[in-house]
Order: sequence, then C-alpha cells, then structure tokens
Amino acid sequence: MSANSPEMEPEPYVSKIDRRTALAWIGVVGAAAAAGAGVVVYGPMKGGEPVHRGYGTDPKLTKPEKAPWSRIMTQAQLQTAAVLADFVLPASATAPAASALGIPDFIDEWVSAPYPDQVKDRPVVLNGLNALSAKVLKAAAADRTLAMQALSASADPLTKAFWKKFRGLTIGAYYTTEAGFKDIGYIGNVPRSSDPGPSAEVKAVLEREFQKLGL
Amino acid sequence: MATDTYDVIIVGSGAGGGMSAYHLTKSGMKVLMLEAGRDYDPRVETPMFNTNAEAPLRGVGTPDKPFGFYDATVDGGWEVPNEPYTVADGSEPFIWWRPRMLGGRTNHWGRIALRFGPLDFKPHSRDGLGYDWPISYDDLAPWYDKTEKLIGVSGAAPPRNLLNTPDSPPGCLMEAAPPRAFEIFYERGFRAMGIPVIPMHGAVVTGQMEGRNTCLFATPCGRGCAIGANFQSTTVLLPPAMATGNLTITTNALVYQVDLDKAGKAKGVSYVDRKTGQHRSVTAKSVVLAAGSGETARILLNSKSASFPNGLCNTHGMVGRYLMDTVGLNVTGQFPSLEGLPPTNDDGQGTEHTYVPWWGYEKQKELGFPRGYHIEIGGGRHMPSMGMGGLVRDDDDLVGEDLRAKLRQRFGSTISFNGRGEMVPNDDCYCELDPAAKDKWGIPVLRFHWKWGESETNQAAHMVKTFVEVIDRLGGKPQGHIETDGRKAISKGGEMIHEIGTARMGHDDTDSVVNQYGQSWAVPNLFVMDGAVMVSSPDKNPTLSILALAWRSADNMATLAKQGAL
Repeated sequence: MSANSPEMEPEPYVSKIDRRTALAWIGVVGAAAAAGAGVVVYGPMKGGEPVHRGYGTDPKLTKPEKAPWSRIMTQAQLQTAAVLADFVLPASATAPAASALGIPDFIDEWVSAPYPDQVKDRPVVLNGLNALSAKVLKAAAADRTLAMQALSASADPLTKAFWKKFRGLTIGAYYTTEAGFKDIGYIGNVPRSSDPGPSAEVKAVLEREFQKLGL
Repeated sequence: MATDTYDVIIVGSGAGGGMSAYHLTKSGMKVLMLEAGRDYDPRVETPMFNTNAEAPLRGVGTPDKPFGFYDATVDGGWEVPNEPYTVADGSEPFIWWRPRMLGGRTNHWGRIALRFGPLDFKPHSRDGLGYDWPISYDDLAPWYDKTEKLIGVSGAAPPRNLLNTPDSPPGCLMEAAPPRAFEIFYERGFRAMGIPVIPMHGAVVTGQMEGRNTCLFATPCGRGCAIGANFQSTTVLLPPAMATGNLTITTNALVYQVDLDKAGKAKGVSYVDRKTGQHRSVTAKSVVLAAGSGETARILLNSKSASFPNGLCNTHGMVGRYLMDTVGLNVTGQFPSLEGLPPTNDDGQGTEHTYVPWWGYEKQKELGFPRGYHIEIGGGRHMPSMGMGGLVRDDDDLVGEDLRAKLRQRFGSTISFNGRGEMVPNDDCYCELDPAAKDKWGIPVLRFHWKWGESETNQAAHMVKTFVEVIDRLGGKPQGHIETDGRKAISKGGEMIHEIGTARMGHDDTDSVVNQYGQSWAVPNLFVMDGAVMVSSPDKNPTLSILALAWRSADNMATLAKQGAL
C-alpha cells in the first residue's frame, strides 16, 4: 500500500485504475499483440484527439462507464496531488491513505471535466499544484511538511482557495468509497426486510441530550 | 399501427397519463399512449445500491444530470437538448424541469403523497384570494382512497383530526416507517414551539401488498426502484394497463397539436418523432392531454385553426394562465447533540418518515400571509457524497487523524429544513407561445412570465424565521448565510417542479378551460388529465392529487364513452 508520510520520501504515485479500465487496457495490449506489433504497451491509449465531451443526458446508470473526457494533469501535478492528498488523509491504523484509494486520479478526473463547476475549479487546483510542486517533490521532508502546513494558514486568497478546494475534493472522494464508509461509520446501502428504527442505545443518548437542552 | 383504431389517444405517460391509461384500458377502451421520451424500464435501468465512487465525478450534479448522476431523469432536467423554452424580459426567473422518458417525472419524484384538504378546494371562500375549485374535498376523497390503495402509500397512524390535513381512512395506508434518530430529535424542538410532527405519507410499499415488493429500506427512491416498491407510473400503472391488451405505447413521439375534424371535434393528434424528425398524425375517437402543465398548454396553444385562432380551448385567453408552483426554501442546521451517535442505518424508506404539516391556519392574519406551508426535513447518516467536506468547512487546518475524528463526529449531525408552501395564483404568472423561438422541429416554444406575490415572499420570510428558531431550540447552528428577506430567499418559479394550473377546471367556459372531469368546454371529446387542471396550489405536493383527479376524470370519461356521448 503506497502511503506518503511526512517522514519519508514520497513514493511515486502509480495511477489506480478500475477494473473496467484495466480490461480496456488489456484489450489494447491484446490487440497490439494480435497485430504482431511485438511491443507490449501498458498504459492508457495515447494519441488521437483529446476528448472534451461529457457523459451526455442519458448515460448508462447501472454500470457507469468511465468518464469519457481526456485527463489533463501532468505527471508533476499528479505526483504533487498524491503527496498533498496523503497529507490531508494519510493512512491510519485502520484506513488506507488517500493515494491508495486513487484520489489523485479522481482530482485529475475532476479538473479535466468539461462541466462549468469543474472548469471553474480547474485553474484553482492546477495553479495551486504547480505552485506547490517544487516545494513538495524536490524538497527535504521537513520543508515539504512545512510547505503543506502553511497552506491553511496562508493569507493569500488564491492559496487559500486552492487549499479549501483540494481538501474538500479529497475528503469527498475519500469518503464516497467503501473504505471511506467503513472509516466514517456509514453502515447503510444494504437490503433489509424492515426498518427497525434506532436502537435503545441511540434513543438513550437522545434523551440525555434533551435533558441538557431542556426539551 | 395505421390500421388500428383507437378509442383514446393519451399524450404523456406520467402520473396523469399513466392513471388515465390504467383506468381506460381496464374499462375496455383501446388506448394509444404517446410519450415524448424514450422507452424506459426501471427493472433493468435503476442503479440500485451503486455507490458514488462508481459514478463519474462521484455522482455530483452536472448540466447533463442536474440532480446527480444516478437521478432517474433521462434526457432532461432544467434544459432538454433541442427543446428550448424562454422567459420573458422583465420576468423573475422561471425554470422548467422536463424528462424525456416513459413514466415522466414519476420515475424520480420525491414520493411525498399528501392529500389536499377541504380548505384547499375552497381557498377563495376562506380568505377571498385565488379561486374555488368546482369540486370539494368530499368529491375527491373516495378517489384518494382508491389511489392510495392502488399505488401503495405508507404513513398509517391514529387519526389526528388536524385542520385541513386529512387522515386517510383505515385500510388506505400501510404502516409508517419508524422515526429515525434525527426525526425523534427535531420533533422535540417543534413540540416546544407548539408545532406538530406527524408521519409522512410516502408512496412506498412498507408492508405486505398484493402483487408488490416491499421496500428494501435502502438506496434512494430518486434513482427509481428496480423492484417496484415505490410508485412509478412505469412499475405500477403501465404494466397492468399493458396486461389488458388494450394499450399501445409509442415513445419518442413529441405531440404538438390536437387535430380537429370538420364538426370541431378532436380526431387525433400530430407529433414529431424525436429520433427521425418525421411528422405523423394519428387518430382516435377522443384525446387526453396529460403531458404536464407546461407541455399540455403548449399543445393547446399550438393547435390553431379558424375556430381557434389563438389556440384550442383558448377563446377566453385562459390557456397558460394561473400557472403556479410551490414556494420553496431551505435552511440547514448542524447539531452538537447529534454528534457521535452510535452508527445507525438511517437509509429508511426513501422519503421522510415524519414531517410538519401547516399549523397556522387560524393565525394567518397575524402572520401577515394568507396560506401555509409544510416542512420536509432531511437528515441522518446518509451515504456520503462529495458534500462531505462541508462538515468541516470551518476547520480549515484539520488534517490526518484530527480530520478523520472530526468527520466521524459530525457525520449525520446536520438537519435540513425545507419549507413547501402554497402560492396564490396571480396575473403575472403564466405561459404563452414565444413569438419567435422554435424547437429543433420548428414548433413554437413556451415563454414563461413569473412574479412571486407578497403572499409568497412573506411566507418565505416566515419559513426562515421558523427554521432558525427550531435550530436554536435544538442547540444547533444554521449553516451558511441566512437570508431573511423573503423575496431573496424564495425559490425560483418552477424550481419546486410543481408547476400546475395552465388549463384549469371551473364552472363554465368563461372562467376555465375544462370542467370538473377535465373535459374541455370547447371540444367535448378532448380531456386534460394532468396538473394543468388544478385551480389552487396547496402546499401539499401535487402528484397524489393528479393521480386521484385523473382516475376520477377517466372514470367519467369511460362512462361518457359507454353512453356514446363522445
């Protein structure tokens, strides 16, 4: 499990690909091999025109396809995003680090998206990552941590906006995963034959709160 | 199809179209249903149990899917490709939600199924504002009973006899889902203010029901339901209608005109095939419009002839008039008392388990606005979304273990209070044909005019005051900026997706477009069976009433057909 902590040199971030993408890539490799190209390429399809379209007004919902737009983040931006995402949510004793859940790829998906909200976020995030890049990728561990700690305290509105946005995206992306559900204590999304309502324990806590509130 | 002869063409497949098809096919009439959108099957298309992590952008709303990736709405939202609408210069904002799918908006609706009350049918008699319906609550009550038993509605409770908040008779409703922690919690705050909290009526099957699956108490209703445990036209009304052998459905058929014969009776409709662009005309002995209040008005206005140069049934300029929506407004609070509750499964029945009905009927004068609102209240430990960061927006410096701990503590500790109020119809709110704009197929589109009255903006201000007070009593803090000016805080026209009233029912052709059974005054074999017929816009969400009215109207229509009166 790749996990960047302030004490260590950041490990290079390797894109986490979902199973469907992996199958598509294997398909590319397979096709290349079948054509006798003699070269095995592992990676997303390169070349062709970049895609800037959205998923449309009638996407398949039961098995969503990978977002169709091309990703725009550079390797340096992706690596910086990995270090910063793991500063926000490093591995804990029971939960993985943000990078292990592919959060940097999600940041890339987000800033690359063609929709207005994401287009607005794009310069905020990318400029922030560019400004931070040298301070985290080629710095000593202590300087790296200081540089990231300084973000939330910054008086500069652009830096502040970057930090808020990046942290918010990281939190949202992290806790929408199964690992995030487990960490935060979301136990729903399972079929049940009835809804028993809250437990006696929960009701007892509420009663104590009502007493405190004089209700 | 060309050789088939139909008794009825129904335009639209949502609540009004679905219910009229259900009853008319069961009455033995041959029905052709025309739906502007594509075919849609919730059984195989619903993303039950999908997580946000599986969706692009973690499922957030985009212009392609404004209510989120998994929202059931197909090919639509606030904008529909190739099908524009306009808002007049000088108008307040108006937005119009349209899907393009079989079953229409019943696929994604909120499943809140409240009956209108006796006062709601006679608002003018009550306070001199707006207009009375030609029917009373007692006229519709038996149809509410039948509708609740057919579609499956939860919320049974001992009768409360609250003013203008009807209890359903025994046997109509299924058991109410138990209040969740946040619902138990807010009830205490409202109780201290003398405001009642009662079980919600939700169009969800919570118990054993013949021919239906019971709710799984998981996965949001707004995605639709693959097991048909909530009400959607596509799972509850259209399958039994199809089973009669009397229903034919044509999708992608965007109807734009009612065609008349020489005697002035409806002989069918014309539509454009949205996929091929081809124009077609189909015929039947009678026509039902149930395309949704906006689209129904548009069809009438576009049906021009020598007898009706300003549009069908529009001799007195009533079509498109008395357009109404619901007053909407939201305030969210965060509550330390709910922090750190033991993990609980709060997924529930999809719609709220309890709600606040309007409590101020006898205090309207002192309140400074004439009509009331109910409160829909959301909260609990719901499946995390991209909004999670909002839980720690004021704790900028938290990272790592401290951040994890704070998020765990705050998860499920916010409650959102949503006012939904009655609007008094006014002369500034209507739709008409835009003199210039046309859709992709050259058909004139609607132009909306909108202006909230003081009745609504004062009511909105009262909502804010009430929500801030209950949040305070519960020891919480309102989140974000609190706008106390009702005119600024109120929703946009159309935003609550309860637009109704463009072809209202009444006593005669000078005050209305249709009679109490949706039969148009001008063309005896032309009927309207959607929300367009409504005369007032009570705070109660309109879908249940659209269903009950459509059933009552379809029953009358079937009788007329048997008598040869059409």
